[in-house]
Amino acid sequence: MSFQMMLMQLAGGMVKSISIFAWTLIFSLPLGLIVSFGRMSSNKLLGGVVKFYISVMRGTPLMLQLLVVYFGPYYLFKMHIGGAYRFIAIILGFSVNYAAYFAEIFRSGIESMPKGQYEAAQILGYSKNQTFFKIILPQVVKRILPAITNEVITLVKDTSLAFSLAYLEMFSITKQIAAKETTFVPFIVAGLFYYIFNFVVAMVMENLENRMKYYK
Amino acid sequence: MNILEMNHINKKFDKLEVIKDISLSVSEGEILSIIGPSGSGKSTILRCATMLETINGGEIKYLDKQAVRTDDNGNVVYAKGDKMKNIKSNFGLVFQNFNLFPHYSVLKNIMDAPLTVQKRDKKEVYETAKDLLEKMGLSDKADYYPCQLSGGQQQRVSIARALAMKPKILFFDEPTSALDPELTLEILKVIRGLAEEHMTMVIVTHEMNFAREVSSRIIFMEKGVIVEETTPEKMFNSDNQRTREFLGRYSQL
Amino acid sequence: MKKFAAVLMSVIMVASLAGCGSSSASKAASGSAPSSGAASSKNASASANKSSANTENMSDKKKFVVGFDAEYPPYGYMDDDGQYVGFDLDLAQAVCDMEGWELVKTPIDWDSKDMELNSGSIDCIWSGFTINGRESDYQWTQPYVDNSQVMVVSDDSGISSLADLKGKTVGVQSASAALTLLQDPKGQKDLADTFAKLQEFGDYNSAFVELQSGSIDAVAMDVGVANYQLKSRGEGYKILDEALNTEQYGVGFKKGNTELCDIVNADLTKLAGDGTVAKLADKYGISDLVCLKAK
Repeated sequence: MSFQMMLMQLAGGMVKSISIFAWTLIFSLPLGLIVSFGRMSSNKLLGGVVKFYISVMRGTPLMLQLLVVYFGPYYLFKMHIGGAYRFIAIILGFSVNYAAYFAEIFRSGIESMPKGQYEAAQILGYSKNQTFFKIILPQVVKRILPAITNEVITLVKDTSLAFSLAYLEMFSITKQIAAKETTFVPFIVAGLFYYIFNFVVAMVMENLENRMKYYK
Repeated sequence: MNILEMNHINKKFDKLEVIKDISLSVSEGEILSIIGPSGSGKSTILRCATMLETINGGEIKYLDKQAVRTDDNGNVVYAKGDKMKNIKSNFGLVFQNFNLFPHYSVLKNIMDAPLTVQKRDKKEVYETAKDLLEKMGLSDKADYYPCQLSGGQQQRVSIARALAMKPKILFFDEPTSALDPELTLEILKVIRGLAEEHMTMVIVTHEMNFAREVSSRIIFMEKGVIVEETTPEKMFNSDNQRTREFLGRYSQL
Repeated sequence: MKKFAAVLMSVIMVASLAGCGSSSASKAASGSAPSSGAASSKNASASANKSSANTENMSDKKKFVVGFDAEYPPYGYMDDDGQYVGFDLDLAQAVCDMEGWELVKTPIDWDSKDMELNSGSIDCIWSGFTINGRESDYQWTQPYVDNSQVMVVSDDSGISSLADLKGKTVGVQSASAALTLLQDPKGQKDLADTFAKLQEFGDYNSAFVELQSGSIDAVAMDVGVANYQLKSRGEGYKILDEALNTEQYGVGFKKGNTELCDIVNADLTKLAGDGTVAKLADKYGISDLVCLKAK
């Protein structure tokens, strides 16, 4: 296989890795916010259930969770799986897992907000929704951005776990090329791809942080 | 008609009674100062009046409209929905720590609530905000962010933010406690200006001389009760022993 | 906040585009590459176009989903054009051509092969899959390759027999037939017990690097794989004359799926008869190993 061909194959895998990455973020960030509300809920049952969910998501390997999401429906309900469900299961597994981490980050950010911000908003007559989305959330985002960046960069590398569901993202393709070519070159190239990907991600996140530096 | 009326207010934190059966009222144009040692409950009574704290008994009325009442079974009932919203629009509060929104510019801090909460006309709100900034001597700071301002400037913005809502009564919760002495003076000057315009105000403060000069009435509180309520002249020449002790301690500082 | 939302939105847009692109790309990949061994490269690319067009138009064609390990040359791997080929896949394609099925090549994670098969994600495992020791776990076709498990060592290691491996570190692929053999008390467990350590690895690439660096002394693997690896890596390695075991490859279906298994089994016999099997074996250099006989 020519080097050019290998790059093309890996780039194709990269597109799939990016699509796992992007879809996971799209679903897990809002889901994480909702989960964080559940976690902070004064309803003890809801709070307890959410706390259990978070502890399972953080306490078991993501690869295991992916296998459960994909194969679970068959073993539990004898449902037909395969085809498009492979990708859906991957996005579902990743989103549900990352939402748990994001929820804890959101919670730490929300709980670190000074009470005075809520009180000022209350006195000025803002509704609860207005208070949260206009006053609290923007400040929370600024506070938690560094922690979010950490998770996002981990996610880039975690996309390689999709190989356990036989989804041909970059790392699976890398291993296949390496097996065929009996060399380590694909791994070096793949490492470079991941690094560039993360470099871009880190740059975007830093840019976002800088945009919010106008206030303290 | 009284703008604010509080009757037989009780407030407990867990089992600790911090407000014990306090009643007070404020009529239009009046400036009421509340003084007293730390822990006397003077800030708490202000927070009860502004609904930041839930009372355990009593009645609060704004312009004769009942915001809170206690029913025959001793249950405290707060007004709800639009009625409460209406009642709340009567007052503003200036915090000790300003509590400006750090992510909004000075102008947006002042304009946002009139626009989103009161749904007022943007042009009119803008004019109001500009006037208020000029009055506060901050015309050149409209596009600054709170973190770029001194404490005194931030407190003036927060006063402008409260005034932009056009309240009928303005509460001040120790507005100068977080400020250096020279910055304190600029805030007192602003409040004095408002007094000249006959703004109805309730001020919780440690600035005895200021209270004496600006108030129409002073309440001295201690351990959750009103010890004395009178005019500034009488307060500062009081026969009451506890009042004298408190004022005496202060003049020694 | 608005700017943040804008950036997020643009990420979403890019992602959805990427999502669409990738799904159509994978469709094309699985649809094309008919690679019916004998066809010339010109014909192959022409029929590749045709078959990918077929995928779109004739989706009612029965799909035959083959699960395979894409890191297992020469039986199944990615070729120079990024297509999945190999002796097993070409043979599967020949069966599909006979039956009018559409072959869906699904590279699987080898550790999850049973879940893939049992859940119906794939129809069969066709991937240099060893029958011995798994006789009753799957519905097997007749064996088509007779393979042995051998030891690969460095030329200069001084190891020349299985007995020399005493006290040495031996590598073996996780979940492979060689590992099963070395752990089976009826198999070669006694031999394995003489090793200093039996070290599992994920792929042959890392095993050979460890072998080269001297951190392991020998690697157990299928002889077909060993021949391929030695050919592509050149000098420096040898296969011990003494084999660990003789074993056979078959196509594994889910236990009880006799219907599909019987069809494929019969087709294999026919393909042996018309010379297709011999041609493919020659193409992939495993003529010595193929054991399919025409009836």
